[in-house]
Amino acid sequence: MAELLEVDSVNAQDEITSFDAWDSLTSLSIIALVDDEYSVTISAQDILNAKTVEGLYQLIQSKK
Amino acid sequence: MNFTFSDKKISGILTILPGNEVTFEDEMGNYNFSEAKSLKLKVAMGFNKKRIVKEGVTGSDLCLHGLNYLLNNNHLSKDEIDALILVTQSADYIMPPTSNVIQGALGLKHDMICLDINQGCAGYLVGLLQAFMLLDQQAISKVVLLNADVLSPKVSKRDRNSNPLIGDAASITIIERSSTPTTISCSLKMNGQGAFALQIPAGGAKLPNSAETAVLEEDASGNYRSKDHLVMKGDEVFNFVQTEVPPLIEDVFALAKVSKDEIDYFMFHQPNRFMLQKLADKIGVSRDKMPSNIVENFGNSSGVTIPLAITFNLGSEIEKRNFKLCLSGFGVGLTWAAMVTDVGPLGFCKQIDY
Repeated sequence: MAELLEVDSVNAQDEITSFDAWDSLTSLSIIALVDDEYSVTISAQDILNAKTVEGLYQLIQSKK
Repeated sequence: MNFTFSDKKISGILTILPGNEVTFEDEMGNYNFSEAKSLKLKVAMGFNKKRIVKEGVTGSDLCLHGLNYLLNNNHLSKDEIDALILVTQSADYIMPPTSNVIQGALGLKHDMICLDINQGCAGYLVGLLQAFMLLDQQAISKVVLLNADVLSPKVSKRDRNSNPLIGDAASITIIERSSTPTTISCSLKMNGQGAFALQIPAGGAKLPNSAETAVLEEDASGNYRSKDHLVMKGDEVFNFVQTEVPPLIEDVFALAKVSKDEIDYFMFHQPNRFMLQKLADKIGVSRDKMPSNIVENFGNSSGVTIPLAITFNLGSEIEKRNFKLCLSGFGVGLTWAAMVTDVGPLGFCKQIDY
């Protein structure tokens, strides 16, 4: 996640859309990463709804 | 749904590209994003150069240019064309069918059938299916399949989602009966519940073009487009392709009784390099067996990317010998299709500029 958001590390409470690197490409890259790593399908809206890194983690766990 | 055909073949492919080339950097200033972000997009998606028509040029112009080239170089004669299929989403007119217009412009015989088909990314395979079905008729010995997509005028120049990738092109494929036995296998599925994942909202009967439909509006990502413009839900399309295409490839392999290793090349529709390489990884195909160099050189020309991948990557090679190809197109409709077929040696496999 840190690599996609172009920072050294991310915290659980960080808001995903608050990073400078955030744009629709980051969104698509997260969708692809989640599909690759967890075989879970999420939408761009799911990421916005999840808000934080922690929220995204919870979403993936709930869809596993 | 599965289809099989016997004793038919593709005998020639020509692609026609607009001579006008535009680079990603030429248009980067139109987007509401920092240069750094746009350059990152360029690298990830494989954007570089694309071919788009000059104002006023339509799909039929590209098709007629190509047909005249084939007629003048004795690759085709007028009398032998029993069917003319045009697959396009950018028809010249709402009525009449553009295939009839092309027939008239060339002065072809009246004893033939012209068909327009509205399909996009999977349009090459839908067109081939229609051609093979027509060849089951005694009266039909040779089918000319035209694929033409000129969508650049339908994309907002300020839409970073779509404008960098859209290219224009046309292709002409000759399909005929084969004197040696052949088997062609095809699997196809459609899902109209996803019909609006890729669309041009205005311009048809439901929402005619008007001053209101031409108003540019900003979306949540900072792109500007109007209802007259093409709009794509990128995440939905990505998930659709990653979920639906790999099992379809398994289906067509089972139908054709071939294994992945027997396929020489996977010539797939090329939406962008990112999506295609993710798809190759998911199917378990090495990236060198699935060329992904069309968008960076010419742009995504919808249904034409498959024949363009063949002419660009195999060109004169496939004029000399046979290749076992797996073709696949997926997108607007939603429609997704895959085909296993031997192709070559072809009478011609070329690309020309308009």
